[in-house]
Amino acid sequence: MPLLSVRDLTHTYPNGFQALKGISFDVEAGEFLVIIGLSGSGKSTLLRCINRLIEPTGGTITFDGADVTHITSDALRKHRAQIGMIFQHFNLIPRHSVINNAMYGALGSMPAFSSILGRFATDIRTRAIEALRIVGIAEKSDVRADTLSGGQQQRVAIARALMQTPRMLLADEPVASLDPSTSHSVMSYLDKINNEMDTTVICNLHFLSLVRQYATRVIALKNGELVFNGSPHDITEQWFTAIYGEDAVEVEIR
Amino acid sequence: MKKLISIVIDVLLGATVVALVERVIVPSLMDVKPWAFSSLSMSIIIGGAVVWASIGLLRGASLGRLYTGLDIPEGASRTIVSHLGWIALTTCIIGGWIITDISPVEFLSGEGLQGAGRIFGALLTPEFDVIGAALSAMVVTIFTAFMATVVAVPLSFVLSFPAARNVMATSPMGKTIYVVLRAILNIMRSMEPIIWAIIFSVWVGIGPFAGMLALVIHTVASLTKQYSEQIEDVNDGPIEAISATGANRFQVIWFAIVPQCVIPFLSFTIYRWDINVRMATIIGFVGGGGIGTLLTQYQGLARYHEVGTLVILITAVVWTLDVISARVREALR
Ligand SMILES: Nc1ncnc2c1ncn2[C@@H]1O[C@H](COP(=O)(O)OP(=O)(O)OP(=O)(O)O)[C@@H](O)[C@H]1O
Ligand SMILES: [Mg+2]
Repeated sequence: MPLLSVRDLTHTYPNGFQALKGISFDVEAGEFLVIIGLSGSGKSTLLRCINRLIEPTGGTITFDGADVTHITSDALRKHRAQIGMIFQHFNLIPRHSVINNAMYGALGSMPAFSSILGRFATDIRTRAIEALRIVGIAEKSDVRADTLSGGQQQRVAIARALMQTPRMLLADEPVASLDPSTSHSVMSYLDKINNEMDTTVICNLHFLSLVRQYATRVIALKNGELVFNGSPHDITEQWFTAIYGEDAVEVEIR
Repeated sequence: MKKLISIVIDVLLGATVVALVERVIVPSLMDVKPWAFSSLSMSIIIGGAVVWASIGLLRGASLGRLYTGLDIPEGASRTIVSHLGWIALTTCIIGGWIITDISPVEFLSGEGLQGAGRIFGALLTPEFDVIGAALSAMVVTIFTAFMATVVAVPLSFVLSFPAARNVMATSPMGKTIYVVLRAILNIMRSMEPIIWAIIFSVWVGIGPFAGMLALVIHTVASLTKQYSEQIEDVNDGPIEAISATGANRFQVIWFAIVPQCVIPFLSFTIYRWDINVRMATIIGFVGGGGIGTLLTQYQGLARYHEVGTLVILITAVVWTLDVISARVREALR
């Protein structure tokens, strides 16, 4: 049984724009799946449907055997808590320390009241330091998160996701605002988490060179439809033009 | 709906113009007191309003239509709109001049200027015997404002979240609460603190407590609005990120929204306290205690030298607080 199964998924935004037009694919546990596609093709919308930041308007999403398409309240929070997410703009809490930002990954599994009073258990703190160590930034624990560089912030965001001990990690263009070498460092942490912690990763990416290096499988979206599903090595010249259009030229990132 | 609103506007405007002419301008031109309000006056006003609105309806051009953004046909109709506009404006200026008793003669008459000289002279030669009483009244005023702010801040903080669209838009129930709360706050805010002070001075008796309650109401209404607008302005990214961890609604508010708001909230709050000190002074005039009450007492006794002392003190304190609060807000940025 696949870990995640998406069937005929559609999403229409309140303004009437149909961003996803019937998408189906499966993700097995342990895969590193990369989603590619032009800007506006629906990649972010798709990721947000999977952890249900967005409620799909049609189709089904099955995670670990359970239909999560329209779950609400407690079930929804439990679902989200199993899936970590990182973002293009990191989305750390400004002015708060690195260690606090990491600990906020545990919010979903904590009583709301004690979290608001700031009572994070010592084991949560220990785990946060451990998570920061995994992404190599434990020495910055007490620094304000908004004083870090982009690459460092993204690593803190990864640590925050790790605090969820996630079954799956969603990454929405995690390196789009980083320089090439920082991009590789962030991607290699995702790769490490995928290989060593057995966490399934679904990642939106723009650079095909990164896709070839890290993806075990690729799906491509175009105007809200799935146009490719296969191995990164099968993305030929033809596919490339089909996905990105006639005028596109492949850009390398090393 | 827009059409209905535009007709209502035209009817009201027409009635105003005709009423001004019939009740104010004509009697004053004839140099008589306005005649008793009769059913004849009533019908003239209603008739005028109807005529005014029908011009708009028939020609598809009127100020109401302009205001509600309805289409106005090109050409002749545009001139109708501007004619109606000029008529309304001139009538209101002439009527307003008469109603407010504007009188350049009195402003510049010898006797008038003598009076002005007397009062300015008195104000400029303050009587410092009252300084002790004035200072303790000033302390009362400052702390009335301070306590009002202290009481209002937690209330505003709690209310500002249900009053923010982005927090409440997730469900129809939430939207309803948002709309109702915003409406109540707007009404509360449109009632001037001086009116609340009159109400509370009857309720709890004349004194600083009445003044404080009046300020609390106004401060809650104003701060809640400012706070909630700030909340609507926050960056969505952290909200998404905290939601994605499985956090519940309160955790999202506390960990993703509040950290983005504390500094602006502080800044609004300090500014409010500053405003409240000015308002506490005014509220004193109608029984809110403190320096304002003292001022009305001396003014009632026509002891303008003492009034002068109080005015100097008030100006100094307000100016000092203004400078301090501006500095602090600057530093917070
Ligand atoms: N809240 C919204 N309301 C209406 N339309 C939206 C909304 N969010 C996104 N869209 C539209 O849906 C389409 C897909 O958006 P989405 O963000 O999923 O694309 P994307 O593939 O992630 O693009 P990018 O590479 O630029 O991030 C776009 O055309 C976008 O304009
Ligand atoms: Mg996107």
